[in-house]
Amino acid sequence: MQNNCTNPETSAAGGKKRRREEVGCSHAANEDECFSLQDELTFSDTSVALRMMRSQFPRIDQSQLYSSVNDRTQVDRELERLRRDKVVRVFKLNTGQDDHAIIFLDDYLNQVDRIAKRMEEKKQSDTDIFKWFKEHVLDSKLEPSIAHHELCSLLSLGGKVKDAHITLLINAGLLTRQLIDPDMYWFAIPGIGKLWKALLQGRKELLSLLKRKRHKEMFLAELEKKRLRYSPLDMRFHIRDLIGSGHLKTFQTTSGLVVRVSTD
Amino acid sequence: MWQAIQSRETGRTPSNSFANQLKSRRISSLQLSNRKDFVSPHRGSVNSLQVDLTEGRYLLSGASDGSAAVFDTQRATDSEASGLIAKHKCVFSVDKGHEHGHRFAVSSAVWYPIDTGLFVTGSFDHLIKVWDTNTAQAVVDFKMPGKVYRTAMSSLAMSHTLIAAGTEDVQVRLCDIASGAFSHTLSGHRDGVMSVEWSTSSEWVLYTGGCDGAIRFWDIRRAGCFRVLDQSVTQLGVRPPILKHTAVNSKVSADKSSSGGKNRLKPLQSKHTGSQNMKGSSSAKALVEKSRQKRLHPGMLSTLDRATAHYGVVTGLKATNDGMYLLSAGSDSRIRLWDTQSGCNTLLNFETGRLHTSKAIQMATSDDPALLFVPCMKTVKAFGMWSGRTTLMFRGHYESVNTCCFNSTDQELYTSGADRQILVWSPGGSVEGEMDQDEEVAEDKDNWSD
Repeated sequence: MQNNCTNPETSAAGGKKRRREEVGCSHAANEDECFSLQDELTFSDTSVALRMMRSQFPRIDQSQLYSSVNDRTQVDRELERLRRDKVVRVFKLNTGQDDHAIIFLDDYLNQVDRIAKRMEEKKQSDTDIFKWFKEHVLDSKLEPSIAHHELCSLLSLGGKVKDAHITLLINAGLLTRQLIDPDMYWFAIPGIGKLWKALLQGRKELLSLLKRKRHKEMFLAELEKKRLRYSPLDMRFHIRDLIGSGHLKTFQTTSGLVVRVSTD
Repeated sequence: MWQAIQSRETGRTPSNSFANQLKSRRISSLQLSNRKDFVSPHRGSVNSLQVDLTEGRYLLSGASDGSAAVFDTQRATDSEASGLIAKHKCVFSVDKGHEHGHRFAVSSAVWYPIDTGLFVTGSFDHLIKVWDTNTAQAVVDFKMPGKVYRTAMSSLAMSHTLIAAGTEDVQVRLCDIASGAFSHTLSGHRDGVMSVEWSTSSEWVLYTGGCDGAIRFWDIRRAGCFRVLDQSVTQLGVRPPILKHTAVNSKVSADKSSSGGKNRLKPLQSKHTGSQNMKGSSSAKALVEKSRQKRLHPGMLSTLDRATAHYGVVTGLKATNDGMYLLSAGSDSRIRLWDTQSGCNTLLNFETGRLHTSKAIQMATSDDPALLFVPCMKTVKAFGMWSGRTTLMFRGHYESVNTCCFNSTDQELYTSGADRQILVWSPGGSVEGEMDQDEEVAEDKDNWSD
């Protein structure tokens, strides 16, 4: 789990460095990073938005995509197309609201490989299960959930499946049992726990920060510079997430974009 | 306005499009009516509204204090402010004081679709009563096993007069008024059924949405449901592209058939004690499943299908008037548009913020322009049905809104909620105002006041 701890910072920092080289800085010189949400809030295409956000954030939330493209239906449909073409994979997050995390398939496969390697180092038996999982299950089952018998039948394409194998998959964090239905599993991202906790706490903190203001609004540029106490994730991550899920609204004023808590 | 009439006269605009243009202009200017008001006799939140289907004149409302009332939407009972505001009091109401009245909240009140002589109310006191409108007496009573969440009657029915009732029991019951008994019991849901809706294209098809998040399509001439909507089965666009759909299906079925045995159905017993998994190798399981499959009646196979349409309770269902699409609202604050022929999610995203999580809501649709009216907490939002964007927002209720009902003959929207009011939203501006627009009206500049 250690590499996950450093992942957000390095990838975010790496993302920033890359952007500084790629995009010419046309913004105010006193800003460290030349990227500001204010200037690039919306994109025209979902895959462009996805790639842009992949370079900045460790994981992408579906509501962030909604904040980056104007038409939500278009986002849904293009995401569906990308999912069917096996470019991205969508996972359901267990936050109680309708949250989905989006990962590019190659990133996910890399992560599965890393876990498999770590399990081998610990000398756990039957690490072939990860290979079978990758080959058979991930390839054919594109939905975020899978039923128990289907999982067994797909895994047995690789070899004989035992209960211990499925336990191993759950321990690795690749599967989670559903609470409402004892026979269904959700696909999960290993190491998502830290991110998920940060997401929930960050959301709460950001909303309470804005609600404490007299008019429940703030300039986007100012908001971006603040640091959140309870969440190691970037402020822009949370802003995009809340705009996309409808808790925050942005509107244009003469001195820039203003973010306001949406009532109702 | 005169221009429009002139182009109709000369034949440039055909009559249908003239009517449609007028209607859409009126609908896009809907606002809280300053000319019409319903005096609500209810002392609890109003849970259900319906305008009668034959004339479009009488409004039936059911409330949480066990009362049901009928209003005349076209004739006012008295007026205020020297005739400018029309007050509509209820024509009659049946409440707890009535000797046959409901004892607990009335959750649903619908008109008999053929004429306004009868109406049906369903209540949390486990009873469905059929009332005679002229005498205000309860004619038939049906006792249900649980609280009645919703009742529905088919507006197309030529050969049956069945009331579909969704209760907190897992079975949907169809009650026959003619015989006074239950004619069908539809099993398949795994939790209570919060919304029922008859199809607008076939008198035999019923859509039900349950507290388990599943939406099932039932043909009442057959046993079992013939479709369970799954939110992950999607189509990109209004009509499914045929080739891609079958390609995906064949690939999936090839995979599964190669693993041996038809493993699509879950085994019936699913006990999990401490550890996660069932014992037994996969081949043994395949044999076991095959034998279980044989024992089940083909109509009951659908009970094993666990697909969900929403990640929560299905709180509202509405079929479009052309019968091709079904809209469903869920407690996960999502509204989904389903194609009824293919059973796929069309992936239209409606920008709802939050919806009620525990109460059933009633949505309304209008055809031209295709709008969907949804109660979202304290406001009612109108979404364009094919774009998913919010076009109008109606703020007027003091508490959460439960139902919307659209009267297409007058282009008026009636909404009601927990603040016990029934509000009318009518097209802004009077007809005379529209006619006079083209002429110049000289303003009397001395006529002002502070």
